[in-house]
Amino acid sequence: MMDRQGRGLAETVWTRLDRKAGAITELTIRQLRHRLSTWVVLGVGFLLLICLLALFIGGVRDGWEPIDNDNDSHDWDGDGYPAGQEYKYGSDPMDGYSFPGSGEFVEEGSFEWGSVGLYSGNHTWRWATGVFTYNWIDENPIGGEMLEIQSLSECPEGELFEDFWLDWGDGCRLEENRLVVYDASFIGNGTFRVQEGYYAEWGYMEDSFDVEPEPASNYIDEDDIDWTGDPNKINGFDDDGDCLRVGWPDESTPEWDIWGNWERHDPDGNRNGVDCDVEWITDSDGNIIAINPDNNVDEDPSEENLAYEDAHRAFIIGTGKIAFVMILGIFLPLFLALGLVRDETENGTLHYLLSKPIHRGEFIIYRILGYLVVAGGFVLIMSLLMGLVTASLGPGDSIFRLKDVIVWLGIAFATILALAAYGAIFNTLGLLSSRYGVYIALVIGVYEFVMAVLTLGGAELIPVLSVSHWTLQLIDSIVLIVWPNTIEMHIIADAFNLPSGITAFWNPPAHTLGTESPFVSGLISVIVLFLITSLMILFGQRQFKRREIM
Amino acid sequence: MSTKATPAVLLEKCSKWYGQVIGINDVSLAIDGGVTGILGPNGAGKSTLFKLLMGRLKPSSGNVRLFGVDPWVSTSPYRRVGYVAETEKLYDWMTGHDFVSTLARLHGMTREEASDRASHVLDFVGLSDVQNKEIGKYSKGMRQRVKIAHALVHDPDLIILDEPLHGCDPIARTSIMSVIRDLGRQGKTVLVSSHILDEIERITEQIVILHNGRLLALGNLHAIRDLLDKHPHRILIRTENPRKLAEYFVPEDPVYGVRFAEDGALEVLTNDLSAAHEVLPRVIVDSGLKITSIENPDDNLEALLGYLVGGAS
Repeated sequence: MMDRQGRGLAETVWTRLDRKAGAITELTIRQLRHRLSTWVVLGVGFLLLICLLALFIGGVRDGWEPIDNDNDSHDWDGDGYPAGQEYKYGSDPMDGYSFPGSGEFVEEGSFEWGSVGLYSGNHTWRWATGVFTYNWIDENPIGGEMLEIQSLSECPEGELFEDFWLDWGDGCRLEENRLVVYDASFIGNGTFRVQEGYYAEWGYMEDSFDVEPEPASNYIDEDDIDWTGDPNKINGFDDDGDCLRVGWPDESTPEWDIWGNWERHDPDGNRNGVDCDVEWITDSDGNIIAINPDNNVDEDPSEENLAYEDAHRAFIIGTGKIAFVMILGIFLPLFLALGLVRDETENGTLHYLLSKPIHRGEFIIYRILGYLVVAGGFVLIMSLLMGLVTASLGPGDSIFRLKDVIVWLGIAFATILALAAYGAIFNTLGLLSSRYGVYIALVIGVYEFVMAVLTLGGAELIPVLSVSHWTLQLIDSIVLIVWPNTIEMHIIADAFNLPSGITAFWNPPAHTLGTESPFVSGLISVIVLFLITSLMILFGQRQFKRREIM
Repeated sequence: MSTKATPAVLLEKCSKWYGQVIGINDVSLAIDGGVTGILGPNGAGKSTLFKLLMGRLKPSSGNVRLFGVDPWVSTSPYRRVGYVAETEKLYDWMTGHDFVSTLARLHGMTREEASDRASHVLDFVGLSDVQNKEIGKYSKGMRQRVKIAHALVHDPDLIILDEPLHGCDPIARTSIMSVIRDLGRQGKTVLVSSHILDEIERITEQIVILHNGRLLALGNLHAIRDLLDKHPHRILIRTENPRKLAEYFVPEDPVYGVRFAEDGALEVLTNDLSAAHEVLPRVIVDSGLKITSIENPDDNLEALLGYLVGGAS
């Protein structure tokens, strides 16, 4: 069929629909533009994102401090030697009287456990708990911690054994030459009275020699991750020698386990028959699925390779999920979508629009479309702005990290789908009850926020009945598609106990129908969000169609 | 054209209740061509009638047809209908031209077509000089006219105007009335509602009178009016000396009596209002008295309704 101008019927119908859609969408955009609340909510969103960007730029400008992942560069006991050097010489990193070259303690005697007694003399006292009355005490021992005794004035009766750091242990001063000590090590000439129920031993140090303290920097980033890319080769290398212990003064030195007990050093903790290596387990496609390192191997990698990238991605994912989806995604629709049709009804201006040959159902769709252009356009522009900044300032060799921008566009896409779903839900609520709709919408907003937090925490089942869950999974999927090694970074951070923002903000997509494919989970998320939006629009249309307008 | 077979507006035994309250009660009506005044006091059901026609309300019983189509089900008849709602709210931030052309695009016009048509109808309603001003700065009469312009922009066959003269000053009233008369002359079907008899009288002779949701009368206003003229009427005249004026009125033929109202006015009683008005100027000149006001308290809708309701019972 053709009309008078010779256009086909289908074309005529479509162009007319098009024009109506354009007119209502445009009207909606202009209306939103003329409302103060639109500018307030967009302005607040803009400020939020600018603050985050400022934090990001500040972080980049401060640079990346190398992180001592295994904590062995610090001189815990204040004896001048970093812990790593003390491990090497077998001295106690927590005991200022025990340091490389300090020699051996030779015990001369001790109190019996639980007994009360006195002992006098010029000795090195260890594990001493009681009262020491002295005529001489080493006030400037290695580690310098004894000096702090001087700063303490008194120790009130009844509050002993508090607020004091005596080299290793606690204590306080009772009088000019009387100290109360708890589990302390020190050198002094005097009489020690052991506290009832406690212990002390005395003796002297022998075989001391001079060792030059090493700088702390020797023990930072001293053992990088060594991965050949081939799981069948030997991977992992003990760069700093604290696993192999070749050439150490005391190769059999025990070490602290995680419970604080001394245990014998075990060079093959992963039980793969190779001392001091890292076992990388991959699936048939070569993807890393697990990592089992021996103790003290690859434990302090350079941040250049992993942590910078991890933190950068964590910023993008965290901002995308929390600022875009959970804050903008919920608040923009609350302010902009709730009154899309409701306000027209209340103002009476709906009469002008409904006097035109336009279906009420179409009207709702075009209104939501107009709102989406405003809210979605804002989200898109902001995501591109974020993308430009992070892509220019991020770590790595390339000048511009294009993949950053792609991830940001993915975040914008997911947020826009959420905006559509929330817009449809809130608009329908406004239609259902112009008076209480806003309260129900607020409750839904809080619910969605809580579900998003649960999803961030890794919950896979409870939050499926929420828009935010699927939006966040869509972001997780897009991240994995653009940066396929995110899972590996996740596993590596876990295996070597590295601080990781990715583990905090990113979870592997949960709903993949067993395929583990981010494309499947992404597609499912898009379909679910689309379905929620369509159902809510249909529901709103049904309500609106049956509504009598006074 | 199919309009011959199907009238523009058709109501068949149509009723609308709002809970216990009756909006329209068992109204049957067919209107096609010309200007028809819908008269009735506030609450008579005029707006309900229009909202039924515009598909805003669903009839509780009976049928409503607009060009043969049920407006509650389909929006297709709106291609041929222009509706000026009672609402006074407009998009104040838009210019008049903007408002009309935006709504014109809802008829499927292109931007250019819509703009041309908007300029045309704004000129027709006499707003061309303010069409680029924001509606928020319009006077009451301009606001009414911009509402009329939006209803005319697609050149409809049927125009429905709900109280278009409400709240307008006399000049705006006159110009809106002339617009409505012009539309009638162009052969459109125009429905215009009012609760003021005098307004309708100046626009059209064809009227429908609604009262308490019922269709009370339908036909030519003059015919109805003539009936009314033959019934007792009062003319209230205020003057410095009513007793002296009464002496001049008593001998006149159309006058069958006089009364002195409490506030000092003279009530002239007649059975033929037009005849009485013919002699009125001469009598006043003869009396030489100063007249402060002349009123026809019975020449209004309430009186007409009183007569019609009384006559029906």
